[in-house]
Amino acid sequence: MDLVFDRVGKRFGQRDALIDLSFGMASGEMAFLTGHSGAGKSTLLRLLLLLDRASSGEVSVSGRPLSKIRESGIAAYRRDFGVVFQDHKLLFDRSVFHNVALPLEIAGFTKRDIDRRVRAALDKVGLLDRERASPEMLSGGEQQRVGIARAVVARPKILIADEPTGNLDPQLSSEIMGLFAAFNSVGVTVIVASHDLALISRMSQRILTLKEGRLITLNNDKRGDG
Amino acid sequence: MAGQSPAGVGSGPRPKAQAWVHHHREAAVTSVEKLLREPVSNTLTVLVIAIALALPTFGLALVSAVNQELNRLDAPPQLSVLTEASLTLDDAKRLAEKIERQPGVAAVKVIDRDTALTEFIEATGLEALSSRLDSNPLPHTLWLYPSSNIRSAGLAQLSQDLKALPGIADVILDSRWLERLEAFITLARSVALALGAAMALGVVLTLGNTLRLGIESRREEIVVIKLIGGGNAFARRPFLYTGALLGALGGLVSGLLIFMTFEALKAPIAQLFDLYDRSAAVSVFGFEDFILLMSLGSALGWISACYSVQLHLARIQPR
Repeated sequence: MDLVFDRVGKRFGQRDALIDLSFGMASGEMAFLTGHSGAGKSTLLRLLLLLDRASSGEVSVSGRPLSKIRESGIAAYRRDFGVVFQDHKLLFDRSVFHNVALPLEIAGFTKRDIDRRVRAALDKVGLLDRERASPEMLSGGEQQRVGIARAVVARPKILIADEPTGNLDPQLSSEIMGLFAAFNSVGVTVIVASHDLALISRMSQRILTLKEGRLITLNNDKRGDG
Repeated sequence: MAGQSPAGVGSGPRPKAQAWVHHHREAAVTSVEKLLREPVSNTLTVLVIAIALALPTFGLALVSAVNQELNRLDAPPQLSVLTEASLTLDDAKRLAEKIERQPGVAAVKVIDRDTALTEFIEATGLEALSSRLDSNPLPHTLWLYPSSNIRSAGLAQLSQDLKALPGIADVILDSRWLERLEAFITLARSVALALGAAMALGVVLTLGNTLRLGIESRREEIVVIKLIGGGNAFARRPFLYTGALLGALGGLVSGLLIFMTFEALKAPIAQLFDLYDRSAAVSVFGFEDFILLMSLGSALGWISACYSVQLHLARIQPR
């Protein structure tokens, strides 16, 4: 198992955001995380990214318990992930190219490698011709694709997306989900949080449903019916 | 699987040291670009630093200039020995030879009364006075140069001994002004240093605040950097360079300010020295001082950035 939640709980004050949550994902697997807002999807992803720590239980990634990772090790740990945000989190003071290049700069790639990888990533999301544009000039769907390019450019082991299609129309949403499936098909572990049941049930992937902090379906059937 | 190591094109991340050098170079370049993007506020910051550095530095430079000038004075001060009016020039010369043999005396020069009067009239322009005088009221004078190792106490003793000699009316030991000046210079240097310390603290706080605003305005960027695996060090680096750069520029400008002030003062200072028949050959502010000020400025800038970043950057965490 590449990614294991073992009886994980998370409390915020008096409120339990996650209760006794256990599941595992193999390396190269893809899963959708669904449930109403407030069901604990974001909390789960936050624990995974070490934006928060579990109150009980243990999360392990690649066999490494996250409780053993100290503050100083968090940055390096996060570099194993590619993250796509609902609000894109692009930086408007730099071009599309430099937005996508940021993870590579952090990892210390050479300029030559950065050029090549950024162009490859932009090509995959179909935005190669917009590399000089400012993200401000792009449509919502294009901005999200820049965000995806940035998430995959450093070839992460695990790709996480939090409501990536939240503000997009069905056609664009389905294109975006197609991109995630494509990354998964080359071996990347993919977790997508989404409340768009109609869309994710068409994707024929594993679905994890959260309700009030508990995991209520553990759909391991690849032909899943939602 | 593919994710275990960076697969495909390229050779993956560089070795750590190389990446570190690269990060620093990138941070330096980025910080220059960011400075140029806000020319007005950054110019103001540079000026504040420049003035804060210039004031104490100017004080210290002035003190050291006066000190250098003092060291060029004949030290220790001479004694003026006034003979009694009845003494003839030959008597005065014999007296001078006698005094010269005393311990603690390096040389004795006889100024005869006529020369003294002529010099006095030349120096004061009181020609009318000389025509009114029936006779020269001045006595012969001996200028006594003490040996250089004599202390002020010994000098006072020497003047007492001389006063006791027959034929000597008075001994004028005029060293108190020098002692006072030296004490004043010591005080001035302490004041300049204290002012310098206060100003340095001011620079750190001003720059720290400027950088805090920079950090606040780039909160978004810092959050994203942290979210996608950039550590505090990566987020901090551009601010350190910005701080050091602003500080160095402040040092440069303060150097220019001081240089220009001394240039402007050159003519009046030369005039002043002319009045005393001396040349103002003191070098007050040179190239090394520029380098020193710039290093000092950039060090202060780096320190302010460390302090500011330490205070504010860690608080910015992705939510």
